[in-house]
Amino acid sequence: MIGMSQANNYAAERMMWSASRGLLYLTILAGYIFLLAPIFIVVVASFTNDNYLLFPPKEFSLHWYYEVFSLSWFRSALLSSLVISVISTTISAAIGIFVARALARIPFRGKALVELVVLSPLLLPSVVLGFALFNFAVYFAIENNNFINLVAGHVLITIPFVVRSVWAAMAGADVSLEEASMSLGATPAQAFRDVVLPMARPGIIAGCILAFTYSFNDVTLSIFLAGSNTTTLPVQMMSHIETSGDPSPAAISSLMVGLTMIFFVIIAKTVGLKIFTDR
Amino acid sequence: MASERSFFTNGYALSSPAFTLVGLIALVPVLQLFASAFWSFTTESYTLANFTALLDSKMATQAFWRSIRVSLCVTVVTVLLGYPLAMGLLRAGSRMQSLLLTLLVFPLMVSVVVRAYGWLVVLSPSGVLNKLLLNLGIISEPLSLIHNEAAVIIGESQLLLPYMVLALVATLQKVDPSLEEASLSLGANPLTTFFRVIVPMSIPGLLSGTLMVFSLAITAFATPLLLGGGRTPMMTTLVYSFAFTTFEWDKAAAVGIVLAVLALFFVCVQRWAAKVGLKSFG
Repeated sequence: MIGMSQANNYAAERMMWSASRGLLYLTILAGYIFLLAPIFIVVVASFTNDNYLLFPPKEFSLHWYYEVFSLSWFRSALLSSLVISVISTTISAAIGIFVARALARIPFRGKALVELVVLSPLLLPSVVLGFALFNFAVYFAIENNNFINLVAGHVLITIPFVVRSVWAAMAGADVSLEEASMSLGATPAQAFRDVVLPMARPGIIAGCILAFTYSFNDVTLSIFLAGSNTTTLPVQMMSHIETSGDPSPAAISSLMVGLTMIFFVIIAKTVGLKIFTDR
Repeated sequence: MASERSFFTNGYALSSPAFTLVGLIALVPVLQLFASAFWSFTTESYTLANFTALLDSKMATQAFWRSIRVSLCVTVVTVLLGYPLAMGLLRAGSRMQSLLLTLLVFPLMVSVVVRAYGWLVVLSPSGVLNKLLLNLGIISEPLSLIHNEAAVIIGESQLLLPYMVLALVATLQKVDPSLEEASLSLGANPLTTFFRVIVPMSIPGLLSGTLMVFSLAITAFATPLLLGGGRTPMMTTLVYSFAFTTFEWDKAAAVGIVLAVLALFFVCVQRWAAKVGLKSFG
């Protein structure tokens, strides 16, 4: 009798094991569907031929992709977004690399303050930063200089990405190579250009890609700074989604997802996914 | 050595371009916003009138509580989904692990507008989910699944789930797997082991993930704007509508300051918790 009940216990336990494992796998699957389904569905639905979105589409066509590129608001917003993101990423990289070098390698008083100030655009809610910049622009009566204001705002929100990524790369680099180059007669400027920068290259590339992506995707800050003179693609897309029901945002979305994939692969190949997991 | 005086070895020189730029065009405007939130144009003096006006405004108080409520729900959803995803990630073999990690962090790089639009395509009255339920005969009329708080909670949870998983993984990967094996071999069932061994060991990650997700949820903008619609204003969308729909800039400043104080409070607590956590668990 005792043996029987013990055997039953084991069987029950084994069932509970496999049941809980099954439940775990199901939840994991559900979690990933939850994360990826909206993106996947938009990309697939964007290939519809009809005037409304259908998943899966009745027939696959590039109709809305042609349509989107014939829209003048899309072309001009895409162009401004690309120009704004390239310029602001370049400026952020130029000044971010220097400050990353200081934070990673050089002891000086007030370092914590420099870190706090330089990373502050990410600590502040973008809505607050956006309205503050708008308010500031109004004060100087320059709120209609949308292009300059957007570039300035985007430099702020992209600096932290460059700094963090380059900082991590410089902190992990071997300092003895730099010292060797200096003891062999290189000036600090030469050592910086020929030793420090090349060693930090993966971090610089990844930082610039993250900065560009964040700038290109930003809507919260941009919506306060965009206007009739210059606007960005996500801002235009958002107002189009709110006012029209046609599938053109799906085609734009899937173009953006494609661009993101390319950038994601570059990041994975240069510094790896640890840039997302280490924080 | 001449190098002592070089630009490239001087912390102040290297920091000054970025420090000056961010100070001038980010912090000065924020300080100006702070001042204008406490300024009254009618009496031309410093006052709390803009904040008391918010307390008297039904829309503003509703938006405040809605922001808190939605962010709490988002935090709960991400914790509930976060544990299974974190455990799956940690237990997978190395190839499966890198696939799962890729699929987890890729959405982080995808535009927030694209992801909110994705939910509109899924949840709207003519959307994928309603079509499916109608075709299956489960419902006879489309359900209204967007422009409400639930839609915002769904959208923001999808946005922030990866952060929670990463925070939990960061702590759980330091836990000695033999503890779990010991618990199981000593006769505890998997559920008991989960709640009595794994959850207590993951408290630092849970705390930092919770604080991070809550503060990101309360500051989210595009998702509540697109999925919540005009009838469910939250604090962030209220700043926008005060600024550009009703042109009440002093109120927009006041809501912005409340939001900034809340967000910075959570950032400080998170950093403090990370320090304390490192000390006691390191």
